[in-house]
Amino acid sequence: MATATMTFARVKVQRRFGLALRVTLVIALLAVAALPLVYGGDVWAQRISRAAIYAIIGLSINTLTGHAGQISLGHQAFVGIGAFAAAFTASRLGAPLGFGLAAGAVAGMATAAVVGMVALRVTGLYLALVTLAFGLTAETTIFNWREFTGGGAGAFAPRPDILSGDRAFALLCLGVLALVLYADWRLVSTKAGRALAAVRNDERIAATLGIDTTGYKLAAFSLSGLAAGLAGGLFAHWNQVVQAMDFEFQVALVWVLMTVVGGLRSRLGVVLASAFFALLPLTLPNFLSGLPWQPPFLNEAVYHVLPPFIVVVMLLLVLRFFPGGLGQLLRPATRWLTKGGRR
Amino acid sequence: MGAFIALGVFQGAVYGLLAVGIVLVYKAKRVFNFAQGEFGGVAAFTAFSLVVSLGLPYWVGVAGGLAAAVAMGLTVERVIVRPLESESRTIMLVALVGVALFTIAIIVLLGQPIPRVMPPLVQGTGLNLLGAGILPQQLILLAVLAVLAAAMAWFFKTDLGLAVLASSQDTRAAQVVGISPVAISRLVWGMAALLGGIAGLLYAPVGIFTPGFMTLTMLVPAFAAAVLGGMTSLPGAFVGGIAIGVVQNLGIYLLGQQLKVPGAAELGVFALLMLVLLIRPQGLLGKEA
Repeated sequence: MATATMTFARVKVQRRFGLALRVTLVIALLAVAALPLVYGGDVWAQRISRAAIYAIIGLSINTLTGHAGQISLGHQAFVGIGAFAAAFTASRLGAPLGFGLAAGAVAGMATAAVVGMVALRVTGLYLALVTLAFGLTAETTIFNWREFTGGGAGAFAPRPDILSGDRAFALLCLGVLALVLYADWRLVSTKAGRALAAVRNDERIAATLGIDTTGYKLAAFSLSGLAAGLAGGLFAHWNQVVQAMDFEFQVALVWVLMTVVGGLRSRLGVVLASAFFALLPLTLPNFLSGLPWQPPFLNEAVYHVLPPFIVVVMLLLVLRFFPGGLGQLLRPATRWLTKGGRR
Repeated sequence: MGAFIALGVFQGAVYGLLAVGIVLVYKAKRVFNFAQGEFGGVAAFTAFSLVVSLGLPYWVGVAGGLAAAVAMGLTVERVIVRPLESESRTIMLVALVGVALFTIAIIVLLGQPIPRVMPPLVQGTGLNLLGAGILPQQLILLAVLAVLAAAMAWFFKTDLGLAVLASSQDTRAAQVVGISPVAISRLVWGMAALLGGIAGLLYAPVGIFTPGFMTLTMLVPAFAAAVLGGMTSLPGAFVGGIAIGVVQNLGIYLLGQQLKVPGAAELGVFALLMLVLLIRPQGLLGKEA
């Protein structure tokens, strides 16, 4: 009896200790991640904003492809429409930033819902084709519509005074990212998440279980569009000017690939991979031009294509050797951090 | 307007040629081959470096280009397609998109992102058709498309073609009667790469070409052409290609020139694709197998 109590107490103490250790570790990791924001100045604040925006886009694609099993090769359309809607609200209507972001989110959601409604009548591979063609059409038609987007010159999206500093804006982006992460977590751990998993695994079986498959797929499209539009709104205010050429279709392809590299349905993996690919085009040219020895085939034009090249190499490696992406590689660590205590 | 229709027919011939390769891979493997355009890109750039940079005769360039395309097709089959055979088709599609982007990046790394001019197969001023100037190269393109579509349709009637279809329908059962899935896979990707290479070699001299020229502007209309034709029909790919070309150019004429809508060509293709998928998803000439 006494031994049993003592063992129990020791396990409890160990558990407490383990919990404290894990919490400390997470806080330490977050603190390390926050270092560039605190000491990196405006350059790193801008980069962190970009990373957060990319992470929101990655989570948006993760909602559609990871949770619902639907593919979209035209995500630049949703992000772009969100960006132009936010810029339009800010510069033409003079509304505060919150309204612009809301307008971007609603515009992205509405577009995705309309595309989803049409696209859900086709399945699988055809969906990829429809979204790809829609993205191209949005890029060349909607984004060049002069009254809405300002044509080639672009639409301006000034920041309000309180967010004019890059660090304040980075905090806003991180805040929105936290919201989207929370929404994703809630989505997965509720009935809707389980229904989406059923739809993803086998639509026909899901239907026989009484799940409204079309409704859930449409909801996934709308949610994905909402997050994409929100990211677009943030992008508009981050860059302070939006142009059609910011949303070429190669960009959308890179987004899909980075989400797969991060690992579908792995929040941490998607965020890390998205941040990595957001920073790559900004830091790689500096890094390479700072090297003591310049390889002969490298020059300014080549820097431009290196990031997609690296994405693709990583994608092919990931698909070939660990299909779960970064999330799969990190799983032992994350499992220990989240529920190591209660086995 | 007549000029736009004439231009559309010949522009459509390129889409048809790509669509033939897309249909071949879809019939045999049930995969959407997003790398089809880059087989042509590789062929065109190899031929350019052989003919223009090294000054070799034209036929060497053609042979080298086609060989490079086939080598790429077989490599893609071995390195990407076969290991991912058991994955979902979405993953395979993402991987093939990756192959296309990878190839474009390699071409840019090796050969700078500058526009190039490839000499045409036959020199000449061309002829005037309904007010549009048509190059001899484009006439050859249309003729080659007709021949290849017919040849591929005939191929699926031969024993070898039937073996490909059998393997596509039930790999295990086909294996039991002696049809090797690996051999079929190699054959299909090699043929698809050859078709893509021919498309690239014939289309590159029509205008100037840049890295990714086959994927960035040609691939979506080519897929629309394949879908319009029914995704499994080779005559359908021929008809669909030319129809998409005409619709695209009519879109440029009616929407772009008359109504000043930006991006009229893409809008026309997207609208037609949606119409086909919503009203007649089996396409014009599509049926099973």
